[in-house]
Amino acid sequence: MATGTPTNGPGDAALSSDSGTEEVRLEQFQYDDGIVRLFATATIVWGIVATLVGLIVAVLLVLPSITGGLPWFSFARLRPLHTNAAIFAFAGNGIFAAVYYSTQRLCKARMWSDVLSRMHFWGWQLVIVSAAITLPLGITQSREYAELEWPIDILIAVVWLFIFGGNFLMTLIKRRERHMYVALWFYIATIVTVALLHVFNNLVIPAGWFKGYSIYAGVQDAFMQWWYGHNAVAFFLTTPFLGLMYYFLPKAAERPVFSYKLSIIHFWSLVFIYIWAGPHHLHYTALPEWASTIGMLFSLMLWMPSWGGMINGLLTLRGAWHKVAADPVLKFFVVGVTFYGMSTFEGPMLSIKSINAFTHYTDWTIAHVHAGALGWNGFMVFGMLYWMLPRLFQTKMWSEKLVSLHFWTGTIGILLYIIPIYAAGLMQGWMWRAMDDTGHLMYPDFIETTQSIVPLWWLRVVGGVLYVSGMLMLGLNAMMTWMGRPAEYENPVHTAPRLSKSYVDHTPTPTSPIDDAPVLELGKKVSIWSQMGWHRRWERLPVRFTVFTTIAVVVATLFEVIPTFLIRSNVPTIATVKPYTPLELAGRHIFVSEGCYNCHSQMIRPIVSETKRYGEYSKPGEFIYDRPFQWGSRRIGPDLAREGGKQSSFWHWTHFENPENVSPGSVMPAYGHLLTEDMNYDAIAPHVKVAAYLGAEYTEEDLNNTAEVAYKQAEYIAADIVAQGGPAKAYEKQAIALIAYLQRVGVDLFATEEPAATEEPAAPEAVEGEEAETTEEVADGDFTPEASSEDAAAK
Amino acid sequence: MIRDLVSALDYSMFAELALALFVVAFATMTYGTLRLSKNASDRFASIPLSDDVEDPRP
Repeated sequence: MATGTPTNGPGDAALSSDSGTEEVRLEQFQYDDGIVRLFATATIVWGIVATLVGLIVAVLLVLPSITGGLPWFSFARLRPLHTNAAIFAFAGNGIFAAVYYSTQRLCKARMWSDVLSRMHFWGWQLVIVSAAITLPLGITQSREYAELEWPIDILIAVVWLFIFGGNFLMTLIKRRERHMYVALWFYIATIVTVALLHVFNNLVIPAGWFKGYSIYAGVQDAFMQWWYGHNAVAFFLTTPFLGLMYYFLPKAAERPVFSYKLSIIHFWSLVFIYIWAGPHHLHYTALPEWASTIGMLFSLMLWMPSWGGMINGLLTLRGAWHKVAADPVLKFFVVGVTFYGMSTFEGPMLSIKSINAFTHYTDWTIAHVHAGALGWNGFMVFGMLYWMLPRLFQTKMWSEKLVSLHFWTGTIGILLYIIPIYAAGLMQGWMWRAMDDTGHLMYPDFIETTQSIVPLWWLRVVGGVLYVSGMLMLGLNAMMTWMGRPAEYENPVHTAPRLSKSYVDHTPTPTSPIDDAPVLELGKKVSIWSQMGWHRRWERLPVRFTVFTTIAVVVATLFEVIPTFLIRSNVPTIATVKPYTPLELAGRHIFVSEGCYNCHSQMIRPIVSETKRYGEYSKPGEFIYDRPFQWGSRRIGPDLAREGGKQSSFWHWTHFENPENVSPGSVMPAYGHLLTEDMNYDAIAPHVKVAAYLGAEYTEEDLNNTAEVAYKQAEYIAADIVAQGGPAKAYEKQAIALIAYLQRVGVDLFATEEPAATEEPAAPEAVEGEEAETTEEVADGDFTPEASSEDAAAK
Repeated sequence: MIRDLVSALDYSMFAELALALFVVAFATMTYGTLRLSKNASDRFASIPLSDDVEDPRP
C-alpha cells in the first residue's frame, strides 16, 4: 500500500501491464470514503429526527390535545412519519454507510461510479424529505411502511434498484477479491428482495398526483401488504444489518468471524425462510387458513437461523471479552446482537396462533418492534458509527466518555421503553378478553382498557427521552470529532492486480470416495455434487449468485401468491356487499388520509371476546372493494368493522369536534379541521373512475355526475345531523363524507338483497308518497330540497 | 391453464409441502457446508480483517 494520489484521478487506474497478460496487470485505486461520510452524517441527522418524532408521538398519546388540534401534528399523521424516518431515513442511511464502507474493502475496489453513489445519496434524501412533507399533509396510502404515494414510490424504485443496485452489482463485477465474503451475500439479498417487495406491493392505478389505488383489494391487499411488511423487517432491518455485523464485528473485535460455515447456513436458511413468514400478521383474519399456517410454521423455523446468526456474532468475541469491558463499540455490538436474539426469539413465539390471538392489536407488538429497532438496529448502527467516525474523520473520537454515556443512556432508555409497553400489552390482552361468571365482558367500554395503560405510556415517554438524549450525544460527539478533522483527508492509494476474467481453480478436480465401489454412476456424481464445489463457484460469480438468491425468494413467494390471487374461492363474494357510493368513497379517502388505521382496526376476529364487543366477525367477502384494506395492526381505539349504524351521524360529528364530549377520557385528538374545511365535491370523480376501472360497479350517473350524486347523499346526512340538534350546512364540510363512510362500514353483510324488479312498475302515487315522506323528514331538519338543488347546481 | 392447475391443488397440503421443500434445501446446504475445508473456511472468515489486497492471493 502506498499513500498519495493516483495519477489517473480518484477512481481506478491501470498501473502497468508489463507482461501483457490480464493476470498480472496491476491497478491503483482509492476507496471513496466521501460517500460514507455523507451517509454517516445523514444517519445521525435522521436518527435524531426519527427519535424526536417518536418522542413527540409518545407524548401525543398521553397529551392528545397538546397540539391544539393542528391536523399536521396529529398522532395518526406523525406516527407513520416516525416509522418511516426510523426505518428508511435512520436505518436506511445507516445501511448505506455500512454498504459503501464495507463493500469497497471487501471487493478491494472503489465503488463503480462516483456519480451513481452521489445520485444515490441525494436521491434517497429527496425521498426522505418528500416523505417528511407528504405524510403530515395526509398524503398517504395508509399501508404500514408503504405509506408513500406512487410518485415517491417510483423515485424509490429508481434510486434503490437502478442507481444503488446497479452501482453495487457493477462494483461486485469489477472487484479485485475473488471470493465474495458473506456480508456481500446479505447485501445482495437485501437489494434484490427489497426491490421485489417494493415494486409488487406498490402497484397502483393513479387517481391524481397525490393518490393511487392499489390493484389489490381486501384480503389480497392485506396479504400483499404483510408479505411486504414482514419482509421489510426481514430484508431492510435484518439482512443488511447481518451483513454489517459480519463485517464490522470482526473488525472491531479484531477476530475472524466465529464460524464461516455457520454463516453460510445462516444466510441461505434466512433467505429461504423469511419470505414465507408474512401471513403470521393475519392470523384469525379473513386470510385463508393454509396461508396463515404456512406463515406460522416458517416463522417458528426462523428462530433457528436467526439464533445461528446471533451465536455466530457473539462467539466472534470469543477470546476478546476482556475488550468488551473496555471498548464501548463492542458493548454496542454485544447489546445489539443480544437484542437481535431476543427479538428473533419473541417473533416466532408471537407467530403461534394462540399467542398471536392474545398479543395482536395490543401494545405488545409495539414493544416487540422497538426492542428490535432500538436495540438491534439502533445499537448496531451506533457501534458501526463509533468505529467508523474516527477512521472517516481521521482523528480521535472527541469524547470516549460521551460514547460510554450514550451506551448506558441508550440501554436504560430501551429498557424503560419496552418493559412498561410489554406490561401495557399484557394488560390490554387480558382486559379485552376478560369475562365474568355470567359470560359478559368485564370491561365492555373499550376506553377503560386504554385509560388503564396511560401511566405505562408515561414511563415510555421517560424511556424515549433517554434514548433521544443518547442520539443527541452521538450527534454532538460526531460534530466535535468532525471539527477536529485534519485540514485535508489522507487518501491512501492501494495497488492490486485485477482479477482475470477466466479464473482457473487450482483445487484438484473433485473425486468421489466411492469411485471404485460397485455403485451406479449416478451415485458417484451425487457424491461429487454433495461436496459443494458448485457453491464455491457461485461465491465467485456475483451475477449468478444474485440470480439464485432471487430464485430462492421468488419460489417461496409464488408458493403463497399464486393460490391467493388465482383462486376465486379464496375470496368468496357476498351478494349484498356493494361498492361504496361516491361520497362514502371520498369519506374513505379522508379516513385513509388521516391515518385512522393507526388506532382503529377494521377486522373482527372469530374470537368470543371480540364478537361480544364488536359484533359478527369479519368475512373475506366484505372487503372486496377495500383499497387499501384497513385491518390495522393495533387498537388504541375500538375496532370499526361494524361501526355503520352504531352511532348517530351527529354523534360522529361531535366526536370529531371533541372526542371527550362523547367519550370522556378518550385519548383521540380532536379533528376540528374536518368540521371547518370545505368538501371539494368535484375532486371525487377521479376516485370513482379508478374504483370503477378496478372493478367496482358504478352507474352512469355515478360516473358522469359524481359531484351531484355525492352532494345529494351529503344533504341527507346533513339533514339528519340537523334533526339531531347539530349545525346547519354540515354538507359543505369534509366530516360529512367521513360520516357517510363510517355509517356504511360493516353494514352490507346484513343488508337484504333488493327484490328483483317486478314486471309492473310501481304505482306513481307510491313513489310520490315516498318522496313526500323524505321531503318531510328533510324539512323537519330545517333543510329544503329546493335550496339544496340550487346549491348542487351551483356546485 | 395455470388457474386450472392451481384449482386442482389441495391447499391444506401447502404448509407441509413448504416444510418439505425447506428441509431438503436446508439439509443439502448444511451437508455441503460442513464439507467445506477448514483451510478455506478460515481464509474466507478472515477476509474483512484486512483492507489491503494480499498479493499473491492464496
